[in-house]
Amino acid sequence: MVPNPKFKQVFVLSTAMLSFISFWKAASVVLCDFGSSAYYAGGIAMRAFGPAFPWFILGVMLFSGLMLGVYTESCTLFVRGGVYVVVREAMGKVMAKLSVSALVFDYALTGPISAVTAGLYLGGLLSNLLPLLHVNWHVPDRAFAVVFALLVTGYFWRENIRGIEESADNNFKIIVFVSGVAVLLLGWSGLTLWHRGFTLPPLKPVFTPEALGWTVHFPWLKAVGLVGVVMAFGHSILALSGLETLAQVYREIEDPKVQNLKKAVVSIFVFSVLFTGLLTFIAALIIPPDLVAGKYAENLLSGLALELDGPYLGRLAMQVLVVISGALMLVGAVNTSFVGANGVLNRVAEDGILHDWFRHLHRKYGTTYRIVNLIAVIQVLIILASGGDIFLLGEAYAFGVLASMSFNTFSMIILRFKRREEEREWKFPLNFRAGGVEVPVGLSLVLLILLSATGMNLLTKKIATIGGLVFTAVFYTVFYVSERLNEKKAQLYKPDEDNDEKLNLRSEADIHKVVPELTGARRILVPVRNPNNLVHLASVLETVDDETTDIIVLSAKIAKGIQSGAETMSDEDKEVFSAVVLLAEKYGKTVKPIFVFSNDPFYSMAQVAQAAGADEIVMGVSGSTGAEVQLERLAMAWGMLKKPGETGKPVLAKVVWEGRQMTFQLS
Amino acid sequence: MIRQSDGVSLSALITPGNVVFIEGKPSKEEAVRLLAEKVLGQLGGAIPRKALFDRIAEVEKLNQVLESGFYIPHAKFPELDGFHAVLGIVPEGFQDPATGLTVKALILLLSPHKPAFFQRHLNMLSLLSQTFQPELIERLAALKDPAAAAGLLKGK
Repeated sequence: MVPNPKFKQVFVLSTAMLSFISFWKAASVVLCDFGSSAYYAGGIAMRAFGPAFPWFILGVMLFSGLMLGVYTESCTLFVRGGVYVVVREAMGKVMAKLSVSALVFDYALTGPISAVTAGLYLGGLLSNLLPLLHVNWHVPDRAFAVVFALLVTGYFWRENIRGIEESADNNFKIIVFVSGVAVLLLGWSGLTLWHRGFTLPPLKPVFTPEALGWTVHFPWLKAVGLVGVVMAFGHSILALSGLETLAQVYREIEDPKVQNLKKAVVSIFVFSVLFTGLLTFIAALIIPPDLVAGKYAENLLSGLALELDGPYLGRLAMQVLVVISGALMLVGAVNTSFVGANGVLNRVAEDGILHDWFRHLHRKYGTTYRIVNLIAVIQVLIILASGGDIFLLGEAYAFGVLASMSFNTFSMIILRFKRREEEREWKFPLNFRAGGVEVPVGLSLVLLILLSATGMNLLTKKIATIGGLVFTAVFYTVFYVSERLNEKKAQLYKPDEDNDEKLNLRSEADIHKVVPELTGARRILVPVRNPNNLVHLASVLETVDDETTDIIVLSAKIAKGIQSGAETMSDEDKEVFSAVVLLAEKYGKTVKPIFVFSNDPFYSMAQVAQAAGADEIVMGVSGSTGAEVQLERLAMAWGMLKKPGETGKPVLAKVVWEGRQMTFQLS
Repeated sequence: MIRQSDGVSLSALITPGNVVFIEGKPSKEEAVRLLAEKVLGQLGGAIPRKALFDRIAEVEKLNQVLESGFYIPHAKFPELDGFHAVLGIVPEGFQDPATGLTVKALILLLSPHKPAFFQRHLNMLSLLSQTFQPELIERLAALKDPAAAAGLLKGK
């Protein structure tokens, strides 16, 4: 007779972070935000400094390669990074608050600029389609764009309140579709250029008085030569919006994490140069300059489709494809702005610099609805204030992009010195040794470019400067006051201790109910207990292929006496699994976490291992008993669970600790 | 890694000469001490009495009664070159203060403390806990003499 099971309550845990995505899906998540600027950056830049705009948009896209390099290095340092974490590590909490305030300003603008642009593209298309359908209605472009933008914002506000997760699969499908449209557009544009020939756009930017901003008051600051180049670059840099998404998505990238990050970065770079850079350039070659500045200023790529060689219906069909692809990307960017702002504000809230009032969870959906509401209100106000004027939004944009990228790059330079002993899996190139100290010349040059553009934009982009500073000041004040209020609760600054991992718990009566969910050819059971002692799990994650092997992570809570069957996980238990999730993210490998209440951890290990048909049990060493005693106890539990005379499947039992391991077989 | 290559057999380990029936309701420590006295005779002076009792008392703190009500106090000694065991049968049983479980059978197992033996040591522990399930323990407790007990374990 096999004795009664020692545990009755089995919890199966899951979180969104326990499944990982390929590099091309990660790239598509970033591109849905980053690539969407192709639809508006050219028109806005043209309005600011004239026909030279394609050179600068292309230049900004080439510069994005350098920024992607900076983000690659920061991602390899911080699995759960982003500008807030990086700046906090390098420069402390004050600068971190400033950087995140500026970043939120950009998220607040990303939604409106994307939604309004989508509305303008759709309005432009309707203006062409309705006459063909004999509908005599002139679409009021900007009013239509505002209504459309409000509807889209309302939709994503609702989705984010309901906690609908962004799907990497959907992003991937969108990017595949957009790529198809882009290839078609590039091919057709090539034929058009072949027939018509082309003249390269001028290199010299010619600024409108508005684009010169306050520099008109400084006669010595002429918009010519290098100064003019920096000014034009600053007006074009809004095309870089969305790179922060890379830092957010890195945690989801599958193993081998850094290699896949590099592949994602190269894919993003190539796509951006070809899609945003080249298409904008070709649009300038094909569309007459007066039409770029006028009719197509607000929907440049639609203009490209309509100005190609060929029959009108064919060109209109191309416009339909362009508008659909644009709407998909731009509308996706609206969602990204909600998810990004909510994510960043939640991150700072966890660190105690946003008052707990904001973190109040929705009664039904469990989302931080007050933060989502706040973002929605700000975005709606911006949409209404813009009146559908994409240039006005463009004028306000890029303050946060530049600020967050400057903070991020500067922080990476500081961390080169502050954390010089830490091994980096990838370093931004151009590093020279001087007197035993490594000087990050490459990073410094990038920072120089960013600071030049930031300084110039502060003078030229009045709306961005005033709006950005006011917004940043308001948010910084909110953070400052919240921090002071929260100090009383002593919840401040616990770096890298994300205790708030959203764990979905599913209670099962029996471990056998969970077994069918295991699909790998091999199974490894990894018992965990101490969040600070996961060396054994790390060794498994480092060496095991999760495509073919299920990694079952088991935590057994010691519960003496008779169990009621209604036990719940404590914060300490959740902390263990938060640490497990963080480690799984670091290696980009999927694990299956199981939590049981038991009065004998070795019994629960043996029972789960036998039920799951585990090939290996990998334990961490116990400081109180030692590896041999652990193996002895497991051997006894293993035997006790088998029927007398039964010869079951043998299992390898390992105890792993720093640099050592003991391996024996239990049969 | 040491793979299992040597089989372990209970009948080779438990002979009528090393089965002890313990009358009454001893404490856990008393029961273990009785078995230790018995095993001392098998060792032929390989381990001094004090060293044996001290070591057993030490590992006793780490050993636990199994859920099946079977108890395996075990210790490893570098002086040994083979396994030694004494089976104790307590027909009336005693209560383990730590778990509240009633123990009617226990085996004191002494193993060589040498790397080459650890795999067999684990196999032995696994085999003992697999074999001594409640049904067998009740059958042993109902017996009266060591030969019958050893006979019941034959072939296990």
